Amino acid sequence: MKPKIGLLLGDRNGIGPEIAVKLLTQPETHEGADVVLVADPAVYVGGQAIAGVAVDRDIEFHPLEAPANETSTGTATAAAGQEVLSALKQVARMASSGEIAGFVFAPLNKQAMHMAGIGFEDEMQFLKSELNFDGDVGELNVLDRLWTSRVTSHVAIRDVADHITIYGIERAIGLLDRSLRDSGVASPKLAVAALNPHAGDGGNFGREEIDVIGPAVGQAVDNGIAAEGPYPSDTVFVRARDGDYDGVVTMYHDQGQIAMKLMGFGSGITVLGGLPFPVTTPAHGTAYDIAGKGDADATALIEAWRTCTRMASGR
Amino acid sequence: MDTVRPLALTMGEPAGIGGEIAMKAWLGRQTERIPPFYIIDDPDHLKALSDRLGWPVPIQPIESPEESIEVYERALPVFTNRLEHQPVPGTPLSDNAKAVIAAIDIAVASVQSEQADAVVTNPIHKQTLVESGFSHIGHTDYLAQLAGNEARAVMMLACSELRVVPVYVHMSLRDSIHALSIETITQTTKITSQALMNDFGITEPHIAMTGLNPHAGEGGSIGREEIDIIRPAIEQMKREGISVRGPEPADSLFHRRAREGYDAAICMYHDQALIPIKTIDFHKAVNITLGLPFVRTSPDHGTAFEIAGTGVANESSLVAALKTASAMARRRRGLAKH
Repeated sequence: MKPKIGLLLGDRNGIGPEIAVKLLTQPETHEGADVVLVADPAVYVGGQAIAGVAVDRDIEFHPLEAPANETSTGTATAAAGQEVLSALKQVARMASSGEIAGFVFAPLNKQAMHMAGIGFEDEMQFLKSELNFDGDVGELNVLDRLWTSRVTSHVAIRDVADHITIYGIERAIGLLDRSLRDSGVASPKLAVAALNPHAGDGGNFGREEIDVIGPAVGQAVDNGIAAEGPYPSDTVFVRARDGDYDGVVTMYHDQGQIAMKLMGFGSGITVLGGLPFPVTTPAHGTAYDIAGKGDADATALIEAWRTCTRMASGR
Repeated sequence: MDTVRPLALTMGEPAGIGGEIAMKAWLGRQTERIPPFYIIDDPDHLKALSDRLGWPVPIQPIESPEESIEVYERALPVFTNRLEHQPVPGTPLSDNAKAVIAAIDIAVASVQSEQADAVVTNPIHKQTLVESGFSHIGHTDYLAQLAGNEARAVMMLACSELRVVPVYVHMSLRDSIHALSIETITQTTKITSQALMNDFGITEPHIAMTGLNPHAGEGGSIGREEIDIIRPAIEQMKREGISVRGPEPADSLFHRRAREGYDAAICMYHDQALIPIKTIDFHKAVNITLGLPFVRTSPDHGTAFEIAGTGVANESSLVAALKTASAMARRRRGLAKH
């Protein structure tokens, strides 16, 4: 039986609605899963007008409980942020109750969510609290078949070294391993990036590789995970791209993001890893500068849908 | 006078891949249009290597750099620098360290006496040199001392699509952040800007500067270095007439469209510069030392002991290093005439 997967149009002032309807016009979208659309009907119809497409299918439809009722294309507004937060609650509840097997959301806008008083750093922490979930969660960045997790995220570089702990690295390794398995990779092979240039050059350029990262990799291996490293971060992504690894565990935000965005600017996706059900979204943002013109590219959203479908089917 | 001067190539660690990539480069001298170079090495070592690999590389010892121009067509010119022991691929010997360092000294002396156009260095194995008493942080540091340099030497990495310059090179991430200052950033930027004009022939160079933190600090909410250090450095550079923009989030500065907007990117730490260049062009990136009185380049890889002696090593980076060194030196000489 096909899993039911929820879809949110994202921030109504961005490119979300137009790329979401493009996703829905793809036959492939409906092949692996049944779509459960959670949206404001007006925004859904508006998205089709912008994209110049008609979604010609019966789709299970749930109206938003608290729609914003006003659109300001290309602008971050508290009303749109409020709508998004309410929509996330609604869809999280549906996933929790098993009504849907997971969900995908078109891009949200951080500024709008903060204007609406999200009360958390990001949607991941918001969802975690909403679900009363206390397991390990973390954002995973995915490009084609290559997955990355990170030990630190929105942390000043000055503080990164202090945040690198054996426990934190083990968590990031475990999260990546589990998520890859969920997505259908039977025995994931992982590389762990180093923190310092040349992986510390045997202690000459920093000791974190020797004192922290190496032991964490050793423990992961003892726990049956196929992890290797620490490897110099300037070559580890190229090796992974060439197929040597399914995933790379990075130590900080830009370490993974520089390489991933270079290898596929615009087509990468984010998986909200560790939650009780799969949640995915494009890595790109609301692109306010081109919103409402119908030019926005749906590639990443289509990728996000594929990945969510795979993860929901594997459970 | 537009005299042709050869490039001086050092032997590097003789147990590494230096000898074989030099021979491969020589074999490709015509198809790749590589300007004349000679290697400072032990002819017996290179002969044994070419025999073992079965490569048609005649080894021709030379007495002076200028001889290499004529020799280069038919043989690999070798300026004799004897090794203590014939090397075993993959196993560095500290007894040979003296010759490894001597090759660097000879190359520098040749450019200083205007017999060679530029110094191109093969990879060395620092640990082996340190064991025999070498006290410098690395190649670049040693070259700066030989050059009697007061100013800081700066490392640029370049491929056909991107030039990056990290403010600090061989330092832990933690230390490089603590060392970051307005002064080190402006120094690096000035040296880079000068080099873009003098060595790369770019009359009005545009420089982009990365932020240090994720999302370039997001207005101070993820680190303050952008506000306290990088932005003031940029303002100072602008006042001095250098075109600099930034700080830009490092993860959106290197894709194709972004790269079109600048001639070089100044990066705040080593891997911020190395990750993009290796991802864009793994084999052909060249390491260039800026701020020395002579041109110096090197391939952007190590001694590769695990494949040394097998002949499989990729010579692309050395080829790019030779060609880049020649182009830079010729431009610099052209400039010196005026």
